[in-house]
Amino acid sequence: MKKFLKAMMAIGLSSMLMFGVGCGGDGTTDEATGEVDASGNTVIKIMFHVDAQSAEGKAYKQRIDAFNAAYKDQKIKASASYIARTAGAADYEQKLVGMQNEGSLPDIITFDAPNCASYANSGLIYDISDLVPQDVQDDFLSLNKYDGKLYGLPIQESSAGFFYNKNLFAQAGINVSGYTVENPWTFAQFKDVCAKLKAINVTPVDMRLDATKDETATYLLYPFIYAAGGEFLSEDGYTAKGYFDSAATQNGFQFLKDLVSSGYTSYAIGATDFFDGKVGMYLSSGWTIPDLDNKYPQKFPNRDSWGLLPYPKGAAAASATGSWSFAITDNHHEDKTAIKELLLWMTTVESSQTITNATGMIPARKSVENNYAAGSPESVLLTQLALTGRERPVTVGYPQFSTTFRNVIYEMKDKSVATVLSGKATNLQSELDKLKRN
Amino acid sequence: MLTSTIAIFVVLCLIFFAFVLKDVLLAKRRHKKYRLSTCASALLMGSPAIVLGFLFVLLPIVYSLAYAFTDFYLLRPNNIKFNSFENFKLMFEEIGQKGDLFNAIKNTFTFVIGVVPLQIGLALALAIFVNRQKRGVGIFKVCYFAPVVISLTVTSYLWLEILSPAETGILNMILGWFGAAPKDFLRDPDGAMWWIVLLSAWQGCGYQMLIFLSGLTNVRKELYEAASLDGANAWQQFIHVTCPGLRSTFVYVVVTVFIGACRVMTQPMLMTGYQSHTVTLSYYMYVQGYNYRWVGYSSAVALMMTIVIGTITYLQRRFLREKD
Repeated sequence: MKKFLKAMMAIGLSSMLMFGVGCGGDGTTDEATGEVDASGNTVIKIMFHVDAQSAEGKAYKQRIDAFNAAYKDQKIKASASYIARTAGAADYEQKLVGMQNEGSLPDIITFDAPNCASYANSGLIYDISDLVPQDVQDDFLSLNKYDGKLYGLPIQESSAGFFYNKNLFAQAGINVSGYTVENPWTFAQFKDVCAKLKAINVTPVDMRLDATKDETATYLLYPFIYAAGGEFLSEDGYTAKGYFDSAATQNGFQFLKDLVSSGYTSYAIGATDFFDGKVGMYLSSGWTIPDLDNKYPQKFPNRDSWGLLPYPKGAAAASATGSWSFAITDNHHEDKTAIKELLLWMTTVESSQTITNATGMIPARKSVENNYAAGSPESVLLTQLALTGRERPVTVGYPQFSTTFRNVIYEMKDKSVATVLSGKATNLQSELDKLKRN
Repeated sequence: MLTSTIAIFVVLCLIFFAFVLKDVLLAKRRHKKYRLSTCASALLMGSPAIVLGFLFVLLPIVYSLAYAFTDFYLLRPNNIKFNSFENFKLMFEEIGQKGDLFNAIKNTFTFVIGVVPLQIGLALALAIFVNRQKRGVGIFKVCYFAPVVISLTVTSYLWLEILSPAETGILNMILGWFGAAPKDFLRDPDGAMWWIVLLSAWQGCGYQMLIFLSGLTNVRKELYEAASLDGANAWQQFIHVTCPGLRSTFVYVVVTVFIGACRVMTQPMLMTGYQSHTVTLSYYMYVQGYNYRWVGYSSAVALMMTIVIGTITYLQRRFLREKD
């Protein structure tokens, strides 16, 4: 009897463990997926990087539901899963790689634009050059290309600029009405504005130099290097020496360092200092617009109290671009006809409108009608994107590039720019060589 | 992946059956009856631990060992090629170029050198303090142990507030009362690692304090009485009674703190991000394996690290147990 009880206990414990192990969840899935479901529908699986309950997630769901209604007769059904990036982009990528490993990649995924080269190079995403009609391609503000081939269609676009406090500008006697996207201010004019703001005892500008723990600093600051005439990598994306440490690149970083040395910005500006009226300008992307509209009525009661200025220009003009995109995965489903239908549906003018209404970002397609007032912040971002937008380096080693860029921003505070760039260019080259060798 | 997992499982089963066979033969030689049912029920009772250990300990170790000799790139999981000692060659090249791996080794070494004596010293001092039979000591015990139960993430953010470079940072505010200008403590290439040492020692010493405390209760009071009768003062009692009595506890604490220190990652990751002056070996491995997607190379670094830690731990144990 004792032996029997022992054995039963052991079996019970083992079963509990097995059951526990087998119950792991994996995000929320709309329904059971499969290539053809019980009703004979061809099921197209699509995966999004946001939570299903977020405003963006709801917009995707709305478009998926509309697709399923429109393609009901054609027996095509989209099945969506939402993997929120709770622990950052790397966490989402882990899920993707896990699925690739298991052979369970969805047919369409969303991905962050700078990852295009590495995903394409590794065969994770599929060449859609021949699937997307040329007139559709031409309607996008930018496309995700690698090695001359098309791999992704942007969901929406982003750009950044300098949000400024109109009251502080008035106090300092600064008039910026002439600084438009078509006629951007220069590096020298930017410094003049900073000097005037400093004279009224406010921190002139938050350049986000402390945002080096994630992609923020790279995204917001890389245009300054292009504007100074610098480059980061060779065209094939494998050479850093001679580009990352070139004289022009050095000038770009030096401009940023000079702002610190002159007391125009610092590495220790509080996250809400601009919103509390302690800082004159704040470098950020379009996602700050809803915050200024709704969250800080004390200092920014309406749009007359703040404005948005474009990136200043040096030897050239450049501004930040890039957001998330859709791609078809190379999951060995040979017939891409139905998958193509969903991809095109998710990037139609209507989808673009629905999604950007939810996110506040810039529509990726030129033909999306917008009601942005002339001179409004949204209009500044959209025009800037079209005129001076320049993407981040297209390279298989993008994570290595981004880390190195952020390290330069961090270290140049205490060392000379030339010394930092020389060391970092060597490190980056060594990482890129590793990629080339394999 | 599935095939290799099954292969590893089969090898494990064969090893297990070899042990069972050995027991059967031993029992036969000793003219005893081997009870298969006892073995089976033991196996069933142990199966949860065996399954978990297999899945989450043994399997990753075996895979990591194998990956160290491959060109495994995270985005190409189905195209892994054996590349002999290429990863190890790359490692030594990077150390030679004084790249991030060199910095990671240097910073990890600094951390270990700093945190092991500081954390153990603090833990021992606190244990001796709270071991006194006085009223109110229990409160101190709870206070000293509290940081252990708070996650490293929380304590790191707490210290970020203390060390904030802004004038409103707690430490800078205190320094400001004495007229000192605000300092960016975590940006200082010579000082940042020592702040991480300090926070880690503060966070971790409560746990070692409890271990020392249990060691102290095993030191017989008669020995202190005898020493006292012989005229030994408090310091002499500590050196000649407490320390010898804590030798085995000390060995355990040194080994565990050393291993933990070699694996430091959370604190530099949250407090400074990936920077040359604070990157550690574990953090370097994480970035190479996950951010840069070099699983093969990262596994090679992990293998080297395991060998070095294993060797030092072995030497520590041999050296410290010499007189036991």
